[in-house]
Amino acid sequence: MTPGDVLGVTAVGVVVGVDLVTVPQAMTGRPLVAAFVGGWIAGSPIYGLLIGVVLELFALETLPVGASRYPDWGPPSVAAGALFHPGPDGVFATPFWPWLLSLVLVAALVAWLGGWAMDAVHRANGAAIVRRTAALDAGDPRALIGLQAWGFVRDAGRAALLTLIALLPGGFVAQVVADQWRASPGVAENAVLVAAMGVAAAAAWRLYARGKTARWLVAGVGAGLAGALLWA
Amino acid sequence: MGVSLRAIPGFAVATARLFGIQSAFSYERMLGIGFGHASEPLLRTLGERDGGTPYRAALARQSQFFNAHPYFASIAIGAAVRAELDGEAPERIERMRAALCGPLGALGDRLIWAGWLPACVALGLVLVTLGAGGWGAAAFLVLYNVVHVVLRVWGLRAGWRAGLHVSGALAHPLLQRGLVIVGPLAALAVGAALPMVLGWVVRRGLAWSFVWGHALAVLVGTVLFVAVLQRLRARLSGLGLAMVVMGAAVAGGVLWP
Repeated sequence: MTPGDVLGVTAVGVVVGVDLVTVPQAMTGRPLVAAFVGGWIAGSPIYGLLIGVVLELFALETLPVGASRYPDWGPPSVAAGALFHPGPDGVFATPFWPWLLSLVLVAALVAWLGGWAMDAVHRANGAAIVRRTAALDAGDPRALIGLQAWGFVRDAGRAALLTLIALLPGGFVAQVVADQWRASPGVAENAVLVAAMGVAAAAAWRLYARGKTARWLVAGVGAGLAGALLWA
Repeated sequence: MGVSLRAIPGFAVATARLFGIQSAFSYERMLGIGFGHASEPLLRTLGERDGGTPYRAALARQSQFFNAHPYFASIAIGAAVRAELDGEAPERIERMRAALCGPLGALGDRLIWAGWLPACVALGLVLVTLGAGGWGAAAFLVLYNVVHVVLRVWGLRAGWRAGLHVSGALAHPLLQRGLVIVGPLAALAVGAALPMVLGWVVRRGLAWSFVWGHALAVLVGTVLFVAVLQRLRARLSGLGLAMVVMGAAVAGGVLWP
């Protein structure tokens, strides 16, 4: 990956990272989108999309409700999408499933770290507001603009840092793990798919398995099974 | 005041600022700073009165604590600005802001976070599994954001029209209908997406003859995962358990003799 690629991926990581809470909450940070864009930057959008689909199963659990702490999937998804691609000959230099598992694990860890980093940004915003209380109470519009602008800068810095962590040390560790893999690739495959499907199924169960939505969930699973047999 | 909101100078700027309402989110004032920031362009007409004292007082009021779903906060902003420009008593405006927090938060959580968002994501996933590729992701973004943008803009105008009587806007037939439809829609879409994604991902990584055995193993593992998570729910999130499972697999895979 060239320095230009790193810069491009980090820039996209900032865009999708600030999207989560700060601006504009258009869901560009969802893994389905962010990893696809990361893969596209790296020249392999289809594999970006593949890892994005897997990460999206984890993100289905995330409800960005109010002041609760939740993972930030955007920056690590962009990085994972950029890293998960075959060589120029179209063949993966590292075993496919161990490489996917290690990148998904890195992305999950960085997403989890992103929730804590967001908490730190919100606390920093709070401290800045306390410092500007007199101006705010006097109705000074410059205080509002300054607080909004610095809030954005803090969040952009957080997103850039998360993207770089996932891309550089994260990518290195994932590469080492995949290179050192000795067990059957099936172990990696089953682990990543059980974890992803387990999180998504548990989220669906928690949200929709009670009351009126339960029968719709069952109908959806039935339709999905039929669809998987016919098309997927 | 019978003035259209569009006729108020600063309408376009205020609308744009709605999208950054959480930029200075904090645990002390939550969305309060963004609320004041988005209101400010619409309150500027108060600057012409009494040397700007009403403008500054209104801005200070609108920057106090406020918490709601970010998309639906625009309803409260429109209503609060209208009340300020109509010269309503500050206590009534503050009471209205406080009273709107709970209902607007609950409405957004049900309609968007637990309904429209998972429904659109699941639809995007299904489209990808059907061969749409990146268009599946694009379809998700477009579909989701049509409702997102309409809600923000409609909310500002609905709040403006209603002023202090804004609670009526929450009973809008489309919102009520949406609340009835969106839960089943999301359940159906998420339910359909899970098996289709499993089939699609497995086929991308393996020869077709191996699919069924692996799919069955994953299915059994998934049921076990959900059962364990149900027991540990109070102590561990789904992501936490997933990291434990994947971490154990990585350790085992690397240390395998």
